[in-house]
Amino acid sequence: MPPLKPQTRFLLRGSVLLVGLLSLWWFLLLSPMLYALKGAAGVFLLIQENPSGDWTLRVPLEKTLPATPQQPVAQQVHSIDFDMPRSDVIAFTFSLPVYWAIIVAAPSVRRNLRALLAGTVLMAAVEMAMLLVFAQIAAHNTAAQLAGSADAAGKWARHLGEYLIVSVLPYATPFVVALSLHRELRGEIFPWNKDVEAPASPPPGEPVQRRRAKKHRP
Amino acid sequence: MAAFAELTRNRALCYHCKLTNIRPLRFTLIFAGCLLIGFGVLLTPPVQSVDGQFSRALVSVSHGLIRMFGGHATRNAAILRAPGGFAVEMRDGCNAVNVSILLWSAVLAFPATWKMKAIGLLAGTAIVQVVNVFRFITLYYLGQYSMTWFDFAHAYLWESLIMLDTMVIFWFWVTRVLRAGAAPHAPA
Repeated sequence: MPPLKPQTRFLLRGSVLLVGLLSLWWFLLLSPMLYALKGAAGVFLLIQENPSGDWTLRVPLEKTLPATPQQPVAQQVHSIDFDMPRSDVIAFTFSLPVYWAIIVAAPSVRRNLRALLAGTVLMAAVEMAMLLVFAQIAAHNTAAQLAGSADAAGKWARHLGEYLIVSVLPYATPFVVALSLHRELRGEIFPWNKDVEAPASPPPGEPVQRRRAKKHRP
Repeated sequence: MAAFAELTRNRALCYHCKLTNIRPLRFTLIFAGCLLIGFGVLLTPPVQSVDGQFSRALVSVSHGLIRMFGGHATRNAAILRAPGGFAVEMRDGCNAVNVSILLWSAVLAFPATWKMKAIGLLAGTAIVQVVNVFRFITLYYLGQYSMTWFDFAHAYLWESLIMLDTMVIFWFWVTRVLRAGAAPHAPA
């Protein structure tokens, strides 16, 4: 049997690891990770957990709602509360096992333990940041609805931000962080690292060679 | 502008200049730009309408495949319904257009000839969509078995697997580009 290509090996290892680590996360790690996320994000927002597991978030937001036919007097809003189902909150914890799967599937795990640890911390911070940004977008959406705003560009921008935070970044970020921190994986995929780190044939008469020759003289 | 592009290219080729960040920075900027433009355009109403039609076409293909292999399903627009009552709808985000935009951005940002980029875009998108149709069919059957497993596979497992596939497709394409010598600074 011919040896597998590095891409195929990475795909097979990554797929098996994703199934294993995401199952581990789903059955064992989810509750402690949600607890940690609530504690970390709770520094910036007021978060209450309902008995059903859903979260109620209070986002500080200073906004004056203009007078409307239903509400003849303008109102000052200081914060906005909204509920977030547990199934939505879960999405802000799952990038971490995906990151672990990519790093372990990549070549030379032992040499890249630092990337594993640094990436774990970075991914946890990114996930918390994504939750905070999502909360801000949701609060601004609610405020715009309450104000009866017809700002199409603002609505589109919030929709784009929400789409990126919910449907793109949680899935793409682990791969981007893994490629940023795992030098060997990056070098395998993007050739420019290899070219500079280990040039195959430097030009003739290269100063580097001459210096090396001098060094070996007695 | 063209002269500047030539200059940066020559600098990257030059062995003496250790300006290692030129091409990674260029790739990152073009990738991020394409990503924002791609998703920005995707969320405009006219493209959303086309996106909905594309989802319906994918459901139609999935329905045809299920029936071809002896399975039972009925189709109504973007909804696939099982005889037992379970139904699954392909919405925006389930049709792998988001993953395709990521792949397109990476291919467009990588230094290669336009011919190689066209090959990467077309072949890559085709492979991603084949995997996505397979994903949709497996979710259709998984949902009839267990809704808990359906939620897990739908929102997390399959999405991550498709992202991994996309990364590997890009990796294969980069290798092909370098073999063809279509990239500047390709090894001999």
